[in-house]
Formats: sequence, C-alpha cells, structure tokens
Amino acid sequence: MVFKKYFIPRFIQYLTVLFIGITLVFIIPRLLPSDPVEHQLNRMTAQGQYLDPAAVEEMRETLQELYGLKGGLLEQYLIYWKRLFTGNLGPSFTQFPTPVIQLIKISLPWTAGLLLVSLLLSWLIGTVLGGIKVSFPNSIVAKIIEFFAMGIRPIPYYIMALVLLILFAFVFPVFPMTGGYSMGAEIGFNLKFILDLLRHAFLPIMSMVVLEIGGWFIQMRNVASNVIEEDYVVYAEALGLPKIKIIFRYIMRNAIIPQITGLALNLGFIFGGALITEIVFSYPGIGTLLYSAILAGDYNLIMGVNIFSIVGVSTAMLIIDLIYPLLDPRVRYQ
Amino acid sequence: MSMIDVKELKAYYTTEKYGRIYRVRAVDGVSFQVHKNEIYGIAGESGCGKSTLLKAISGLIKPPLEILEGEVIYNFDDQSLNILSLQEDKQRRKVRGIRLSHIPQGSMSVLNPVRRIRKSFQDLIDAHLKLENRTHLNDMNMVKKHLDALGLEWNVMHSFPHQLSGGMRQRITIALATILKPDIIFADEPTTALDVVVQRGVVQLIKKIKKEQQNTLIMVTHDLAIHANLCDRLAIMYAGKIVEEADVNLLFNQPKHPYTQMLLDSLPKLGDKSTRTSAPGTPPSLINVPPGCRFHPRCPEATERCRREIPELVEVEKGHRVACFLEEGSK
Repeated sequence: MVFKKYFIPRFIQYLTVLFIGITLVFIIPRLLPSDPVEHQLNRMTAQGQYLDPAAVEEMRETLQELYGLKGGLLEQYLIYWKRLFTGNLGPSFTQFPTPVIQLIKISLPWTAGLLLVSLLLSWLIGTVLGGIKVSFPNSIVAKIIEFFAMGIRPIPYYIMALVLLILFAFVFPVFPMTGGYSMGAEIGFNLKFILDLLRHAFLPIMSMVVLEIGGWFIQMRNVASNVIEEDYVVYAEALGLPKIKIIFRYIMRNAIIPQITGLALNLGFIFGGALITEIVFSYPGIGTLLYSAILAGDYNLIMGVNIFSIVGVSTAMLIIDLIYPLLDPRVRYQ
Repeated sequence: MSMIDVKELKAYYTTEKYGRIYRVRAVDGVSFQVHKNEIYGIAGESGCGKSTLLKAISGLIKPPLEILEGEVIYNFDDQSLNILSLQEDKQRRKVRGIRLSHIPQGSMSVLNPVRRIRKSFQDLIDAHLKLENRTHLNDMNMVKKHLDALGLEWNVMHSFPHQLSGGMRQRITIALATILKPDIIFADEPTTALDVVVQRGVVQLIKKIKKEQQNTLIMVTHDLAIHANLCDRLAIMYAGKIVEEADVNLLFNQPKHPYTQMLLDSLPKLGDKSTRTSAPGTPPSLINVPPGCRFHPRCPEATERCRREIPELVEVEKGHRVACFLEEGSK
C-alpha cells in the first residue's frame, strides 16, 4: 500500500525527468550552428591534401553515420535511444575513434573520488560546527568557529586554490604540484600507491573542503537556531531533560533534515566535474574532459558527460525522496 | 507551611535598541504563597505578565528575561530550595520535570515531531530516574498504568505527534507532565485553543490527577470560567502586578479591586439579560508603565493619590488581599 502510494509515483516521476533530460541533451547540440562533420572534413582538407569530391562525399556519409547524424531528426533520435540502451554513446570526435564511454570511464573515478570525499568531509564538519555554534552560542569556541567560517567563505575559490598550491607545493613543498599520482608510479592496490594518491589528492580536496564548510555551517546554524526556539525544545528544557539529549535528539535531529536534502542534491553534482580544481591542480577528471569537448564541438562527448550528470542528479533526488520518510515522519504516507 | 513562597519577584525583559536599554517590566514586585495541595489560579489579560511569572518561578530563565530581585522558595517535604540561586545545569534541571512539572500552552507543538510519543516518555524517565533496578519493560509498564489511570489508550504511544488530534495531544502532554508524580504542576493556559468539549475533558483530567497524586497546582489562564471551575484561590494580575487575591468564591462574590469588578462585570450571568460591558481603554505598555497605581488611567474611581503613589497589596480581610487605596481607606 505504502509502496504503491509512495514509491511508484516517485519512480514514474524519476523516469519522466530522465526522459526529458536525455531528450534535451539530444536536441540542444543540434541547435548549434557548427556542424561536426564539416568540422572534421575541413580539418582533413586543411592539411593540404587533395581529395576527390566523390571521396569527400563518401567520407561525409560515413562520418554522419558514425556521429549519429544520418537521416531525419526522428530517425536520429530513435537511433540515439537504441545506442543508449546498449551503452554506446558513440565515438569521440576529437579523439576519434575512442568511444566516449571509455573516455568517461577513465575520468569519472578521479572526479567522483575527489568530489565525494570533499563533499562528505565539508558536510560533516560544517554540520557539526553549526550544531555546536547553536548549542553553545556564547562559548569562545563557537565564536572562533563562526569567525573563521564566515571569514573564509567569501574568498573566491580560484584564489583559495592558488594560495594553497603556492603555499604548500611551492613555498613549503610538502605536497606535489600536479597530477593525480606520481609519474611512472605503478598503479595497483597497494599501500605505496594509495599513499601517493592521497598525497596528490590532499590539496585539491582541502581547497574545496575549506570553502564549503562555511556554506554547510551557515545553513546548519540558521536552521538549528530556528529549531532551538521551537516549542518542543523549550518544553524539553522545562521537563529538565539533559542538555546533551536536547542537543542531539531534539535540536540536531530536527535541524539535520534540510542538511541531508542538501547533501543528497550535491551528491548528484559530482558527475559534473570540478573544472577549476582540475585546471589549477592539473588533476585528471570530468571537468577538463567536458571543457575541451565544448571547445572542440565534440557533441558525443558533451552529450555523454551530460547524460551522466542528469542520471546522477535525478537518481540523487529519487534517493532523497525515498529516504525522506525515514528522516521526517511527517512526510510518511503522503 | 506554604509550598511555594514568592517574595518581591521582579522579572524584566531587557532589550537594547539604538544604544538605549528598554525594560519590559513583565513581573514587577510580585509576592504570594501557594499552600500545599491547593490549586492556585492566576488570571489576567494577555500581556499582563502571567506566563513570565510562571517562567520565573519555575526557573526557566533565558535572556532576554532577567530576574532583578526576589526569591522563590520551594518547601518540599524533604528539603527547601531557592530555585533562583541554583545553578541552571547542575541543579535546576534536576528539579524540573520530576518535582516541578509543566503543562504547556499550545501543546500542538510541544512534542518532538520526529520522535514517537513513547520515546518522549522514555526521555523524561531516563532523565530523572536512576538507571539501577529499572528496565525498559518496567518503565513502559509504569507509563501504561499511568495512561490507564487517566483513561488514555496505550496505542497512541506508538504514534508520532502529528498523527494525533489537538485534544489528544493535549491529554498526552498532560500525561507526560504528570507521569513522575511531580510535587508541583504549572499549567500555562492548558485549555487555550481547544473547543469547550475538549476543554471540559482537560479540566476533568487535571482534577483527577490532582486528586490522585496530591500535587500543588498553579493554573494560569485568562479564562475565568476555568478558574471558577478548578481553583481554590485566585490572583488577578494587571500590568505585572497582582492586584487582588482571594479564595475563589470570595473573589467572585465580593470583588474589591475596580479592575476585578470590571472583569467580572464583563462575564455573562444566568438570567441577567443586560448588556455586558468591558473595561474601557487598553492595558498599558509594560515598557512605560503609568506612575502610581497602574490601573488609574482606566479606573473610574481614580483619585489624585492613585496617580502619584503605588498601592501595596494588603490584607483587607482574612485571606483577601487587595492593592487599592479605596479599600485601604474603608478599613
């Protein structure tokens, strides 16, 4: 009954969002003025080679078929879906003939690892600090936390990243300057490689965590400072419940609900990549991949990355919807 | 001996605006005693300081509320406590919930929305009873017994607060407030926002608990009908002060203070079809209270003296205290 009333409508909504999103991904690149087939042909002829017009025509047709640009729009659309279901996103135009899915497969673990760790860390620290601030508003610790969280947050991200890089990779060369792992390192599941990986990931993760803590802190502080005025918290005080219990079970427990929504939404965004981080720290990842794909008009790659993003965000939304009743009984059975 | 002894209590809300300090004199020099086992009523208009008085005497003091002076002494069977001199975390917290309990105003939102009701009961029991020789099953049996005694269903324990009706929530809250058999219960407008049928149920519930547990009850509401029904003694508050206090029957039959007279005149009476009148004007702001007697701007019998001097609350006959110069003169 609950399954029918709660789960099925949300699952249908999820599928609808996916369908619309993926269709938009199909339509939008086709509205662009540049034609990737012409682009590719121009590149070939620009090299000064003489090409027989008939051969050019033949090549155009082959390219169109490869790129999924053959035939009318409807025909292309149906082929597009057919390819999607077989996990084939087509070849990349710029790194022809490597399939898009393979490029994404290489970049995705880097991005996902980097963003997931920094998101979870900043969320956890920001939420706990926000809770501390509200529970002990006049303590010195709370004031120091607030001062730093509010002071660091407005710093633009790229400046923060560059400062960290200059400080800890150049002035005090504690951490490596570029890359995801040392050049020539043996890739494998062993302690040496993992330590190397962590050392390389430390600065990029830090740069994001330090700034994002502020955002989570402020959200938690604002929500919790409303919760603290709620009748049930005041009444818990009036009944003499221990302070620790009031903080965790009454204040934090209620204030954390919007925090979890925020976390889940942000989890969906980890497939979009972190472009500036990747550029500043020369870190491999989806952001750079997408950026170069946009510059080169590499439709298939753009579409591939976007499809991952869409699936990521909407799956995150579905998961929030499904776990929400566990967090907040008031939305149960609705 | 009296159970609660309040002496010259002054509780102000202090706020600062543009460098100027504003004091809302919500409770301004209030003294009264509550005897053991009685129901003491406090009545007054909205904003006269009733709820602040309750907060102050139960030691729930948080900025901007400040206690300027005064004492609140509890004489329990085994010990006397001056609640205002206790430390908040170590001592006051231990008294609240088990010796002093609250039936709150607006029980719609006093239960934690994400916790099942039985958890709220468990929280309270955990907070105040020692863990030795206590099991979860025993606790729940105690709750069950208490609910049975109050005529409430055990099933509601598994619900979340939002799944219950307003009246049910209020009754559950009363059960929660009284499960540990407190010596003193503060009831802050327990019937407000309920319809009369539920109000009657709540009043009967409170009476029943009082009879069984022999607690002392302080009842605050603006509803004089509830007071007439429930209370032994009644105090009328006006602008942060008690203006009259007497046995409830005496007060209703022979009100002495002009304000009390006006209040009672505004109530409908059986068989009396004349138009009811209310007191003229509005209550004064508690930031700028009028000099002299606080009621004088609205009092039909105000004299020059009322505008200058503050009348003391004096006993005009046994158990009947009034703060008015008219009574002083007639004595």
